[in-house]
Amino acid sequence: MATKYVLKLYVTGQTSSSARALQNLESLLKNELKGMYELKVIDVLKNPRLAEEDKILATPTLTKALPLPIRRIIGDLSDKDKVLLGLDLTFE
Amino acid sequence: MAKTFKKVPSGVSGFDEIAHGGIPKGRVTLISGASGTGKTVFSAQFLYKGITEYDENGVFVTFEESPADIIKNMEGFGWDVNKLIKEQKWAFVDASPDESESMEAGHYDLGAFLARIEYAITKVNADRVAIDSVSALFAQYQDPSIIRRELYRVTARLKKMKITCIMSAERPTETGHITRFGVEEFVSDNVILLHNRLDHRGMRERTVEILKFRGSGHESEEAPLIVDMSGLNIYPRPKPQLRGKGFSEKISTGVAGLDELLEGGVYKNSSTLVTGSSGTGKTVTTLHFIMEAAKRGEKTLFIEFEESPDQLFRNAYSFGWDLEKYVKNGSVNLVCHYPEDFKAEQYLRVIQHLVTENNIKIAALDSLSALQRIYTEEKFREFVIGLNAFLKMQDCTMLLTNTTSQLLGVTKITETNLSTATDNIIILKYVELGGKMRRLLSVLKQRGSRHKKELMEYEISTYGMKILGAFEGVENLMSGSARTLQIRFDEKEAEQEFREEIKEGRI
Repeated sequence: MATKYVLKLYVTGQTSSSARALQNLESLLKNELKGMYELKVIDVLKNPRLAEEDKILATPTLTKALPLPIRRIIGDLSDKDKVLLGLDLTFE
Repeated sequence: MAKTFKKVPSGVSGFDEIAHGGIPKGRVTLISGASGTGKTVFSAQFLYKGITEYDENGVFVTFEESPADIIKNMEGFGWDVNKLIKEQKWAFVDASPDESESMEAGHYDLGAFLARIEYAITKVNADRVAIDSVSALFAQYQDPSIIRRELYRVTARLKKMKITCIMSAERPTETGHITRFGVEEFVSDNVILLHNRLDHRGMRERTVEILKFRGSGHESEEAPLIVDMSGLNIYPRPKPQLRGKGFSEKISTGVAGLDELLEGGVYKNSSTLVTGSSGTGKTVTTLHFIMEAAKRGEKTLFIEFEESPDQLFRNAYSFGWDLEKYVKNGSVNLVCHYPEDFKAEQYLRVIQHLVTENNIKIAALDSLSALQRIYTEEKFREFVIGLNAFLKMQDCTMLLTNTTSQLLGVTKITETNLSTATDNIIILKYVELGGKMRRLLSVLKQRGSRHKKELMEYEISTYGMKILGAFEGVENLMSGSARTLQIRFDEKEAEQEFREEIKEGRI
């Protein structure tokens, strides 16, 4: 059975980098994880408390809570190889 | 007309004095220093006192230590940060390093950070923000230029929100660049430097220096900084100032014969230095001065470094004075300390506090030499000048003693800078005369008054110091070994000398 991914994407409102990050992430998830994920998008301007709890400073930030290890990927996710590396989705 | 900026009290004792009011209100002030200079304590104290003393709530943004560590460390100063958090007066923005792995994949900014600061400010309705220390933020990210740009955005937002902010930054070394990563490029209006270095005797000295406050005044000299149980304390360097008032009224020294030499005693508001070698009676003179004032009903301060209270009481009893009674009823404020107990700046503060609290007009310190032993020359000079200036301002009459190392012979007083700092100088010394050690007293100077210049003989008896009369018919007294001017012809002695001289081939 494949592992389920638990992801959170922190963005700041409707900025272009927020939109880019979401777009990059969704296309990647569609191709690589095929539905085996749970994604929550958090707007820190509306929910600063959640950013405080998770100690988020930079936006956009993608966090992977599961599978372990917990990891954060900072940026608009335009560097696809880095994102795959961060999500442990690089296969040899 | 120049725009003047308002300032808010810093909550750091002494700082507002050198900052001419405090931290610039509604602006960002950079505090830079190497590690161990007190940046975190300064930041926390600024917030804590802001809340507890000036009713201004605060947000602490921490990039280095965890909030739990900061709360624990501040308990050491008696500051209950948890209580303030519960009362919604203090909020943390925890930006301390996260344990989880982190990587960068594309463009980003610190939007979430800014949102969290704003959220915290709104939550506790803060007027003050402390950010400690931004240098740690740079270590978390790859591109310093992004962080600089983002921090600039943060400071601009804080200014817009009219927040008074202090932002600390790490200085790589004690000299050279103000901060790592060029933080001063975007917070350059107000810069405070904290120093921590070794003085030439190998003692660690911390100081604070205001590099600039744009559009606003401040002292430019470094001021000593000491961390104690109460937090950070800054000791502005005393400024020597001309005495405001001259007094024409004289007060008694308590030694009858000495008053006569001084043409009625010492001027009110003057400082008198009693200098002499060990055992010449400096403490007795001090006791005379204090007891006389206490009997007149004046409040006095008596700082004694050489003897314990019990020794001093016994000593006083032996002259028939009940010093203990006056100490107990509060008219004599006796301070017996090891001189090592306080640094010079702290001592000055302790004395200032006692004098103003108790409205003291008569003060004595026995002896300065105890302080001179442990302070650097510069510190000692500052202490004496600072003490002198302060007591004069308080219309306080002061007596200081100083121990000279030489038992006999000439001692230079000017070496220790004491002579210019004091108004009157009284010399006590031993002289060898006629095969005996005798005691000599002389008034070297009395500023603004005539005085008798005779060299007087005195004794210390069960009644204290007693002036006997002038040495007459002798010369070279001040060198310590006097010669009588009378030529006593002793045949036997002359014969003996003559023989010796022949023997030695001098004749």
